[in-house]
Amino acid sequence: MSNTFFIRIIATDKIFFEGKILAFIGSSIDGEFEFMAHHEEEIVAVAVGGIRFQTEDGEWHRAICGMGTAQFVNNRCTVLVDTCERPEDIDRVRAQAALERAQEGLIHHSSRVEYYMAQASMVRAITRLKESYDRRS
Amino acid sequence: MQGTKEIKERINSIKDTQKITNAMYLISSTKLQKAKRSLDETEPYFYSIQAMMERLLRHLPNIDHEYFNQHTDMPEEEKVSAFLVVTADKGLAGAYNHNVLKLTEEKVNTKPKFKLFVVGEVGRHYFEKKNIPVEEEFKYTAQNPSLHRARMISLTMLDLYRRGQIHELNIIFTTIKSGMDSNAQIKQLLPLQVSIPNLSIPMDVYHEEFFLKPSTEAVVDYVVPNYLNGFIYSALVESFCAEQNSRMMAMQSANDSANKILHELSIKYNRVRQTNITQEITEVTSGAKALRGHRR
Repeated sequence: MSNTFFIRIIATDKIFFEGKILAFIGSSIDGEFEFMAHHEEEIVAVAVGGIRFQTEDGEWHRAICGMGTAQFVNNRCTVLVDTCERPEDIDRVRAQAALERAQEGLIHHSSRVEYYMAQASMVRAITRLKESYDRRS
Repeated sequence: MQGTKEIKERINSIKDTQKITNAMYLISSTKLQKAKRSLDETEPYFYSIQAMMERLLRHLPNIDHEYFNQHTDMPEEEKVSAFLVVTADKGLAGAYNHNVLKLTEEKVNTKPKFKLFVVGEVGRHYFEKKNIPVEEEFKYTAQNPSLHRARMISLTMLDLYRRGQIHELNIIFTTIKSGMDSNAQIKQLLPLQVSIPNLSIPMDVYHEEFFLKPSTEAVVDYVVPNYLNGFIYSALVESFCAEQNSRMMAMQSANDSANKILHELSIKYNRVRQTNITQEITEVTSGAKALRGHRR
């Protein structure tokens, strides 16, 4: 039995990755999880955070994704997230600006929806900043 | 018979209109290219998220969750149905807006209580004119759909649903069928319905069983808003693409009919001019003849 499995990482604006890999690590609401070949059938809620996956050549790739789900069926994995970016594609200036906007929004939010919105975009901005910084250091 | 002057005026006015329709054609065709591109990019996600949701609904145990609450304990008249209607910001898009609005009115009429959330100016004006109440606070444009706008919309809807102000959420949008054909569609987003598994599956076939992590409730809590957001975003993208598509086609046919009318008018114009000339010649010659006869 091969130790690889097929994965598709789909974001709303593109298919981020498609192919055979050895392992996939993502973050869920309660911590990180890992998929390897022939994992049991499972649906996991994916939280905003960094993901890593190891391609067949043994190399690890990193990405930053938004919220979504990952499902593992018949040795095939589908990761559905709203956004997915490589760390080098992240615009840190924009993320910083988004963070500041979100912080301001949290201070004087006028409605519940706006509060949730600000909270969620703050999480996204912080994750982007953190993950793109990790790579450089 | 019309005089040459009137026909000439008519030709000029049609030419002016044609300039407008032609410009709109060019604009919508470039916008369509952009919209098509984003639709192509979104489609895999749209289909996968629907497939995922279907699979999840098939395998969910009978759970008691607010997103699955069918409100059977409430009388039908008390239930508030929300309709999220995606229309265009501008008219002149053939039957695009009309189809969506017709479907909306049809559905709204069957509900005792409803709330309308309209995306796009045309829909808002239409309902205002008909004195059908539309949510005032809800103002979103249909132009260039973004993930941010979809998030705002889905959060607003979820908030209303959780607070029990709406008991049902439907979305009315337009999909593109096989290339050029588009049609208005309605889809119920909330509450979700657990589908009853097909009982005809033979016993010896492997029946996939899902393990939901961290827990069923947590996954549902997390997946449903995400599904809603994804669906709304994709519906906005698809509708925008359909809008540009029907506008382009409407403008194309307007251009064609303008050309046809211009052709007919120019023939008519030439005929009238020819008749006038012939008449003048006849008048001159007969006048000259009469004069010659008089001199003799």
